[in-house]
Amino acid sequence: MSVVDRLPGGEGERAALIGGACVLMAALFALTPLVVALPSALYVFFEVAILYAVYGLLVLGLNLQYGHTGLINFGHVVFFAAGGYTVAMLSAQNPFAGIGLGYPWVAALVAGVLVAALLGALVGATSLRLRDDFLAIATLATAEIFHTLFVNFRGIFGGNVGLSGIPQPIAALATDGDTTLLATLLFFGGCVAFTFAAVRRLTDAPYGRVLRAVRADELVARSLGKSAFSYKMQAFVYGAALAGLGGGLFALYSGAVAPGFFTLQVTVTVWIGMLLGGAGSHRGVLAGLAIIMGLRLLSRFALDVTPVSASAFASIRLIVIGMILVAIVRYRPAGIWGNAEELGVDS
Amino acid sequence: MGLAQNVVFGLVTGSYIAIAAIGFTLIYGIVNMINFAYGEFITIGAFVGILASGTLSLPLPIAALVAMVGGGLVSLVLARGFFTPINHTGPVPLLLTSIGLGLALRNAVRLVAGRGARYFDTSATTYRFEGLPDLPVGSVDLLGNLFVTSLQLVVVGSAVAVFLLLYTLLTRTDVGIAMRALADDEDLARVRGIDTQRVRDSVWMLAGVLAGLAGVLIGIQTNVSAGIGFSFVLQILAAAILGGAGSPYGAIAGSYVIGLVLALSTAFLPSGMTGISSAIAFLVLVIVLLVKPSGIAGREVREA
Repeated sequence: MSVVDRLPGGEGERAALIGGACVLMAALFALTPLVVALPSALYVFFEVAILYAVYGLLVLGLNLQYGHTGLINFGHVVFFAAGGYTVAMLSAQNPFAGIGLGYPWVAALVAGVLVAALLGALVGATSLRLRDDFLAIATLATAEIFHTLFVNFRGIFGGNVGLSGIPQPIAALATDGDTTLLATLLFFGGCVAFTFAAVRRLTDAPYGRVLRAVRADELVARSLGKSAFSYKMQAFVYGAALAGLGGGLFALYSGAVAPGFFTLQVTVTVWIGMLLGGAGSHRGVLAGLAIIMGLRLLSRFALDVTPVSASAFASIRLIVIGMILVAIVRYRPAGIWGNAEELGVDS
Repeated sequence: MGLAQNVVFGLVTGSYIAIAAIGFTLIYGIVNMINFAYGEFITIGAFVGILASGTLSLPLPIAALVAMVGGGLVSLVLARGFFTPINHTGPVPLLLTSIGLGLALRNAVRLVAGRGARYFDTSATTYRFEGLPDLPVGSVDLLGNLFVTSLQLVVVGSAVAVFLLLYTLLTRTDVGIAMRALADDEDLARVRGIDTQRVRDSVWMLAGVLAGLAGVLIGIQTNVSAGIGFSFVLQILAAAILGGAGSPYGAIAGSYVIGLVLALSTAFLPSGMTGISSAIAFLVLVIVLLVKPSGIAGREVREA
């Protein structure tokens, strides 16, 4: 009997095991004097992979909202930003501009998740009764409002420069930069795996069936005595909290937050990744996001060998991404790994 | 600067938003989609106008006409290529497609035209109204000196002309009446022998024409760059929803509300905070969605 056979059966349990292993390995690199030397060609890979892990938390939350419950949240970035900015404002030491209270980062991270969840509850309580596409507009407008506030309230949010001086716990523990990168990637990957296990368990449970019933036909769910609104609300808050966790981790990794990290582009990337992979399938959305982020990585390498300028290349990449979105919606609305029947779309 | 001057600015902004918002809301009402790529229709119209007036050195009114025709054609071709084939799938796939198309178009324009801003070659006469008495209430001056440029008058005049033509179109012509019938009840319209696809095509054309005109007017007032339409799309959307999505007359009212809110909040916010005026416009939008989602003159959008 091989080791693989003795592992627990479910996808979720396996993800939890992988997550545990990742976190342990991250701790090994961060806490011991052990160092690694990464080839400098791989730096860009690690940077994109760490960002992928952060966005992975976002896409899992969004999938809970859209893929399972059918809530169209086009302001997902606002919860990401709420987590990031809360952590920054609570934990930053003497930022250049704006508020930095210098509290311990653990407390700040917890607060970041809570603030994002609270914001989710607030947006949800007011907008979840709106029709599908109007919920999209309300959430989008919320995200734009907050983006404007971040840019304009320099004394609080640091304006365009943002907030710096956020503690970087992993960097502080690890011996050198290369080890930090690896430990960060392992730790964030572990967080994604744990989240995967959690959402998988949630959606496999009868609870998840109710969410999908709300998505398929709200009236049916209500006629069975399920309060569609409170299920929608819970899914929305869970998704917001996950995005807040992503934002908090991101702030603690980069050591700074700025409005430029939290633009509409984040929402678009996560949405396209989710639709490409197949909304409703946890593995699918992570894979879809990997394809979209892989394109970003690929374009960084391709830039070196093609004769066009960097800005032209960025435009071409965004054209391709836009066209991918158009093509999925038209030719494969369930995404690559999604279940068309479950999503109620014609292929 | 007094309140009166800011009201002038608000009316000008409201005018070009209104022209665009009418096109946006007609598509919403008749094709039943939120067209997020509409900002790019405006950008393309503005660039057609720049080409016509700059490269071909046509006079500005002719260039505006060329931009309107170009906008209408581009809108029809894009709709035929991207939106009509998936018309039956409902509002969400259409919305997602328009987001993807908008992203692609915006960057295609950026790729071709570069990142810089271009300007229409215009000359304006400024009419000043000096010597108006100040009417201070607290720190706010309710009257004060004000000026109006001939270009601002052109913008407002174009908007009024569009409103009148639109009213005539919707009430006096067959195609306009068919549009209203389709917005009201598509099945009934088809039973009455209306070719719904042809009506949809004409709505796309009309929306494109309006986008072209709005693009040129925005270009005259500010400048033309690849992101110009996108920077207005949320305000247009806010205006259309504020007025009651699908209602062209509501969109006009909503646009002037948004225009005035933008101008007045810019004027009366403490300096350094003027940037949040767009946030205030969206706040108005969110409040409208929450309090009266049907807007000033529209149908119910709250479910069940």
